[in-house]
Amino acid sequence: MHNIFINLYKYRELIAALTWKNIVIRYKQAYLGILWAVLKPIMLMLVFTLVKSFVGIETGGLPYPLITFAALIPWVFFQESVSEGVNSVTSNASLIKKIYFPREVFPLTAMVTKLVELLISFAILAGMMIYYQVMPTVNAVWIPAFVLYTMIVALTISFFGAAMNVYYRDIGQAIPIALSLLMYGSPVIYPLSLVQKKLVIEQAAGAWSNDLYFLYSLNPLVGIIDGFQSALIRATQPDFDVIYPGLILILTILPFSYWFFKRAESWFADVI
Amino acid sequence: MAIIEVNHLTKEYQLGHLTSLKETALNALRRVTFQPVHERELFKALDDVNFHIDEGEVVGIIGHNGAGKSTLLKHLANISTPTKGKVIVRGSVAPLIEVGAGVNPELTGRENIYLNGAILGIPKKVIQQKLDEIIDFSELEQFIDTPVKRYSSGMTVKLGFSIATSMEADILIVDEVLAVGDLAFQRKCFDRMEYMIKRQGKTVLIVSHNIRQIERLCNRVLLLNNGKISIDSDSKTACDEFYRQNDNRILENITNSSRAQKTDEIDLLEFKFYNEKGEETEKIEYLSSPSINFKVAVHKKIELPVFIIGIHTTDLLYIATQKSDIEIKNQPLLPGIYQYRCQLLNLQLLPGPYCLRFSVDRGQFTTNIYYGENLLRFNVLSKEISNSDSSAEGFFSINTKWEQI
Repeated sequence: MHNIFINLYKYRELIAALTWKNIVIRYKQAYLGILWAVLKPIMLMLVFTLVKSFVGIETGGLPYPLITFAALIPWVFFQESVSEGVNSVTSNASLIKKIYFPREVFPLTAMVTKLVELLISFAILAGMMIYYQVMPTVNAVWIPAFVLYTMIVALTISFFGAAMNVYYRDIGQAIPIALSLLMYGSPVIYPLSLVQKKLVIEQAAGAWSNDLYFLYSLNPLVGIIDGFQSALIRATQPDFDVIYPGLILILTILPFSYWFFKRAESWFADVI
Repeated sequence: MAIIEVNHLTKEYQLGHLTSLKETALNALRRVTFQPVHERELFKALDDVNFHIDEGEVVGIIGHNGAGKSTLLKHLANISTPTKGKVIVRGSVAPLIEVGAGVNPELTGRENIYLNGAILGIPKKVIQQKLDEIIDFSELEQFIDTPVKRYSSGMTVKLGFSIATSMEADILIVDEVLAVGDLAFQRKCFDRMEYMIKRQGKTVLIVSHNIRQIERLCNRVLLLNNGKISIDSDSKTACDEFYRQNDNRILENITNSSRAQKTDEIDLLEFKFYNEKGEETEKIEYLSSPSINFKVAVHKKIELPVFIIGIHTTDLLYIATQKSDIEIKNQPLLPGIYQYRCQLLNLQLLPGPYCLRFSVDRGQFTTNIYYGENLLRFNVLSKEISNSDSSAEGFFSINTKWEQI
């Protein structure tokens, strides 16, 4: 397992070069350049804000655009890392057939590429916070930990998905659908407090309520998104009770996912 | 200790399609319920291959298409994993397997040098030091800041080769890359390869269909046949054996269909090869004077006919060509059947297999009306010079007189 980190260091130049290539190529002939990368969360935020004005969502007195943008930052980072990561091996078929280096470089590169875009999103969030006069507190130190956690979640899915996608391209097709469904299962449009109110306080699903809530918090994005909002906007400690189930689940799956990837890796060149 | 060790290497590929998710699920179900599983047929690309290569050896790998050459290289470069057996490589490998694999069309030449360098594992510092040298070698100074998608295909390959050969590795693996660019650049590549081999004493593995190149560069050759090593010896023996196998294949093709392009004006009815004594044969003595008899059927009147006979090697390297118009006066040929004889006086071809080609031209502006190559095959034999003698290499013997002055 610690091989990941050794390789990450050993192949840092390669990962840096491939990341730089990904970014340069994507925006080379585009006039707006890398601004396209942050257009997605901004557009989604605008749409959600528009929808919110019809349905009314309780935000605890905080400006909704800010709350939802703070949720969209980790979400879009996660979503893009996974969909790029899953396709990263198959889209580099020509390299895989011609030259050897550890194949986890591809999902890692996909993620590092998105990390660069994430930084730009943070700059925009900072601008919004200044506009709404919401100042970050000492709790913001949690953010790097949450980014790392998001990366681990994205890698766990990417390793398994990328390896499977080499054999069955169905995975590449299914992932975007699964991800867009998962967005509704994560507190992106609505805040987590809404779910807690319904299930934990009002026990809306009767006897199943607590089980359902546990199931919901198994989704690691629930903890991540709520943590982001807490640390940055609400200026409180992250709620660790919603983080643990997802974190434990991911840390259990990650070794298997990596092991699966490394096992499948030897046959990539033959089947791709 | 050998720098490369290949022990009992076997590689199997499944024939046919990769099964669908459904088929895999069904197979899993069958396995669980102990029912026979639908297996696909296996193909052995490499079958129990064994060899060791010592440091500094230059080894050529030859064989027909599908003999397993590239599969073998892929295992040495750690791209594929063996089904059975083991491949041990002690040292860094520079795989020149299809150069330009990592060249990205959107990036400029300079950017590609950095990217490809990183892919090949060359540290950035080294690339920066070598940048000028790489650009210089690629002859692309003028275009180095232009995206590669605007390059011609030759320019792309030149760039790829220049980057790949700047890598400093213990072992070079070369797969048919010497055939890049125009003739002048090919020459340059060849010289660079030769320099790396002879001066820097690198271990090199070359796969090529250009047997003459292999014969020149390598001191050891592996001949692969259907995934097995059929010969592992010095380059001369292996290459000669490969030529012999090729000759047999070509011969089969000749008997099946002679390579001839005809028109309705003339037909070749007979084409025979005789030795000095007038016996029809395929074997002649070195420095003898064989002759060729041919019979043609003329269907339409032919103005200014010229017959041409040429000798070429089995791999279609033209050695000599002779026309008839110096000796036979250019009378128009009326429809009918004609017979000719052409004698080859004191043929100085060195021992080995050769082929004959024959063509007919007509008119002042020499329009070709019949053309055939590989029409006949003959062997030159000699008691004094054996087929694998190194005292006389090439195709022709030259009369020499040596003395110290």
